[in-house]
Amino acid sequence: MVEKGIWKDWRLHAIVFGLVILTEAIGTHQFSVGPGVILLLPMLYAMVIGLILFFTPVVKNKQSKNAEPLIVLGVTLLIAKIGVIIGPSIEGIIEAGPALLLQEFGNLGTIFLALPVAVFLGMKRESIGMTHSIAREPNVGLIMDKYGFNSPEGRGVMAIYIFGTVFGAIFLGLISGFLATITPLHPLSFAMASGVGSGSMMAAASGSLIAAFPALEQDIIAYAGASNLLSLSTGLYMSIFIGLPLTEKMYNALSKRKESKKNAVKKGA
Amino acid sequence: MTLMNNIQEWILLLLIFGVISAIGNWIGYGILPLAAVPGMIVLILVSLAGLILQKLLKVNIPSVAYVALIGIIISLPGFPGSETVVRWTTEVNLLALATPILAYAGIAIGRSWTDFKKLGWRSVVVAMLVMVGTFLGSALIAELVLRMQGII
Repeated sequence: MVEKGIWKDWRLHAIVFGLVILTEAIGTHQFSVGPGVILLLPMLYAMVIGLILFFTPVVKNKQSKNAEPLIVLGVTLLIAKIGVIIGPSIEGIIEAGPALLLQEFGNLGTIFLALPVAVFLGMKRESIGMTHSIAREPNVGLIMDKYGFNSPEGRGVMAIYIFGTVFGAIFLGLISGFLATITPLHPLSFAMASGVGSGSMMAAASGSLIAAFPALEQDIIAYAGASNLLSLSTGLYMSIFIGLPLTEKMYNALSKRKESKKNAVKKGA
Repeated sequence: MTLMNNIQEWILLLLIFGVISAIGNWIGYGILPLAAVPGMIVLILVSLAGLILQKLLKVNIPSVAYVALIGIIISLPGFPGSETVVRWTTEVNLLALATPILAYAGIAIGRSWTDFKKLGWRSVVVAMLVMVGTFLGSALIAELVLRMQGII
């Protein structure tokens, strides 16, 4: 997993060090959009500035490559921290077990929300790959395995994977605080929802919640962390047995309806 | 590459990451680096143990699962020394760990930018809805069950 000598890439570490000092010094800022609040966290600035630096001579291709294993190691530290928060609150987690388990089915929400829109926008079988799950690594593997790399489904899942890689954390970080302040749902429900199965997305989504509801920090981290672990371990099976078959069925129904509507219009004209 | 080489590289990288986040932990959350050092060392050791365990046990489970499990066990009430573990690690803010992760991620994702630019607006709309759908779907069910249980 880790290539040798990445620790010697002082340039990369110095850039990140500088980014951390700068962004933590700027601190968290928030602004209101209607009744909701959008939170801007240091981690979000750090990601955006890091991305911008990639296009300057400061970051070379070597740094960009070397940065990947550090994400993995950083996430293990983050998970370790979440572990020692879950430990002392284990009773609460077990008590909330039913909610934690059942909310995993909420991940299927993408099919009901995104699939109809994808079909409406004129997408064909791409939409199956796109909307069957949140498209992290295990799901990309599943689709490639089932339909092949050059299939429309494969192209679809890659599109969401790429969007998620580049903007997933930023997007979830922005909407989680906003949705938690604008909807009547409890922040702890959103904490559970933050565990979508990606370390950086979970960090950004739960980070916004912590910034908006600092009194609930420990519970937010414990719920988000536990839910993320569940998503990591059950997510793939959820897709194999429920998500993907359901997406296929709904896609067939939706595209048939679209076809018959089209024909009806033609006949009418 | 042997396991020993791997371990050496992991230790060095985790230490670099630890130093960077300890400084962020100080600037952003006002916790002096010296106060955060014991907790940071605990977290590094937990990570290291998980990474090594994953290599040693040839079962196909991601290393983060081991890391989480070890972290949970050593902080369980009643586990010897768990109070110390909790007290020390409280000095390391979660957000201070997340900032360097996303800084490295920002630098790394630059290479996906060409692929990203090729996505049409339709894909971007659908991608956003995929995320909102997953997020809201889970939140709704969690809300329902937590309320039925009387937890919230």
